[in-house]
Amino acid sequence: MTQFIFTFLNGITLAGLYFLVASGLTLIFGLMRVINLAHGAFYLLAGYVSWTVADKTDNWFYGAVAGALTLGVFGTLVYVLLLRKFQYEELRVALITLGVSLVLAQAMLAIFGGEYYQTNIPDSLANAIPVPGLGLSYPFFRIFVLILAILVAIGLWAFISKTRYGAIIRAGVDDTTMVSALGINVQAVFIWIFFLGSLLVGFAGAVGATTNSFGMGTDGDYLLFSLQVVIIGGLGSVGGVAIGSFLVGVIGQFAVGYFPTYAGIITFTMLILVLAFRPQGILGRKQ
Amino acid sequence: MTRTRIMYVVIIALALAFPYITPDPDFWVSSGGTRALWLGVAALSMSFLNRNLGLMSLGQLFFSGVTGYIVAISSVYHNVKFGTSVPLAIVAGTLSGVIIGYIALKTKGVYFFMLTLAVSLGLYAFANQAQEITHGHTGINSIPSPIIFGMDFAYVKPLYYLFLAIAVVLFSLCKFLEGTSFGIALKGVRDNEDRMISMGYRTMPLKMIAFVFSSFIASIAGVMGVFYVTNISPDSVGLLRSIDLLVIVVVGGATYLGGAFVGAALIAVFEAIIQDFTQYYIAATGILFIVVLMLAPQGLMGIAAQIRARRSNKVGA
Repeated sequence: MTQFIFTFLNGITLAGLYFLVASGLTLIFGLMRVINLAHGAFYLLAGYVSWTVADKTDNWFYGAVAGALTLGVFGTLVYVLLLRKFQYEELRVALITLGVSLVLAQAMLAIFGGEYYQTNIPDSLANAIPVPGLGLSYPFFRIFVLILAILVAIGLWAFISKTRYGAIIRAGVDDTTMVSALGINVQAVFIWIFFLGSLLVGFAGAVGATTNSFGMGTDGDYLLFSLQVVIIGGLGSVGGVAIGSFLVGVIGQFAVGYFPTYAGIITFTMLILVLAFRPQGILGRKQ
Repeated sequence: MTRTRIMYVVIIALALAFPYITPDPDFWVSSGGTRALWLGVAALSMSFLNRNLGLMSLGQLFFSGVTGYIVAISSVYHNVKFGTSVPLAIVAGTLSGVIIGYIALKTKGVYFFMLTLAVSLGLYAFANQAQEITHGHTGINSIPSPIIFGMDFAYVKPLYYLFLAIAVVLFSLCKFLEGTSFGIALKGVRDNEDRMISMGYRTMPLKMIAFVFSSFIASIAGVMGVFYVTNISPDSVGLLRSIDLLVIVVVGGATYLGGAFVGAALIAVFEAIIQDFTQYYIAATGILFIVVLMLAPQGLMGIAAQIRARRSNKVGA
């Protein structure tokens, strides 16, 4: 029973992290049809940046802000310099971002080496909270990650479906020419979206660098998690990412806890099953 | 037509003579020639799909990996003879293409690309975790070389000629298929699936056959990989390997069958030259890849056509 509850807690808090990671990917894709396969490398870069800053300033929050902002600016630069010209050629853009991830991974390896790092949990969040009925406690920071994910989910949903800017973005995706004709600078909107999406993955990288150790190869792992999450949940939908994160996080943790040998296969079978019945993902719009 | 035929003859003659005309044959036959043929066959399975169905797959290493692991495990741990294990493994790899194809072919474009990427990453994760079966990160090492009719393929030249024969046969098979009515129907599906459906074609079986055929080629490449590298580990099916293949296909020219081999030769030579500076290899390929994608999306094979098109555009203007 104890193992069951802890596995569930691990799963759902990990789902929170997955949500933070994948929401940037789905935001950019959903609104711009641009799939960023350097997403895992972005996550890892944010981990290194936030770790370095947190280590130097001895303040976790500075690290998180630095990670998020660095990636926001970096992602925007990648978009403006490499992707914007081919924005409507989906596959070409995906391939270019894959090239970016190669270069980034190599550069990070050259700078930070092959060791693994983990950012220290800030003292104010380092306490453990008791799990009712078990007499055991659970690290509060992981719960904090889940709360952050829920806040980001609500914020994103409200931003996209309730604000004027969200309306402009949605309209810009459906009919760029028409929105431009209304006097709105769609190019600027797209840049902001890319900034926001990269900012989110930067923030996720800072948070993930604290809950899990990271280093060479983490980029590939998180690219896989994000792809699983968005494929299962449905690309381009914030709700879909939430469902996808929950399934991949919780089922993945139970698989690792109870059937470690086949953990990879179990998550993978789930992905295959979802796609066999709903190729567009659980909440995805039909292609 | 005759011009291309002469070109094929010249290329095959050069490939046959390669071990005798290259400087430092001990190094270049294996690290250049044999390696390029192996990577070329693996890339051919991608090119075939892209050219005939317009689908770019990153899942080909899944089939290579399934086949390679079956051959490696059965020969190293169960003393199964290659005469049994290789055909069975190729059948298994090809059949796994039926399952993956059934699901992946429901998607298109970038979705297909992502799904097949997830498929190969899934095998990577499994190979890493299922230590009892795959020996995890260490992988399976010192796989013996095949001996066919008393000829030991541990030697460099026999392996090179074996791979050359496989490459020529598979390339010709692809060319042949493209010329049949099946191949022409495939191009119809690629260009306008809805119209093919309304003309009465059942497009899913057509796409399935093409996909399974490409997984057959990838399975053969998996066996070639086991014999060439003599070990298999999760890294053999990892993201970097998949990207390597993608770079080969794109740099060579993704819409040309020959592009797979042009790209593979280029990458093999590039790898061999840069191997003293391995730490820069991946970044260098990444940059090459981005530059090709931005400036010459048709790859090396397409550069001539691209220049011609630009010139005639200028004349037209």
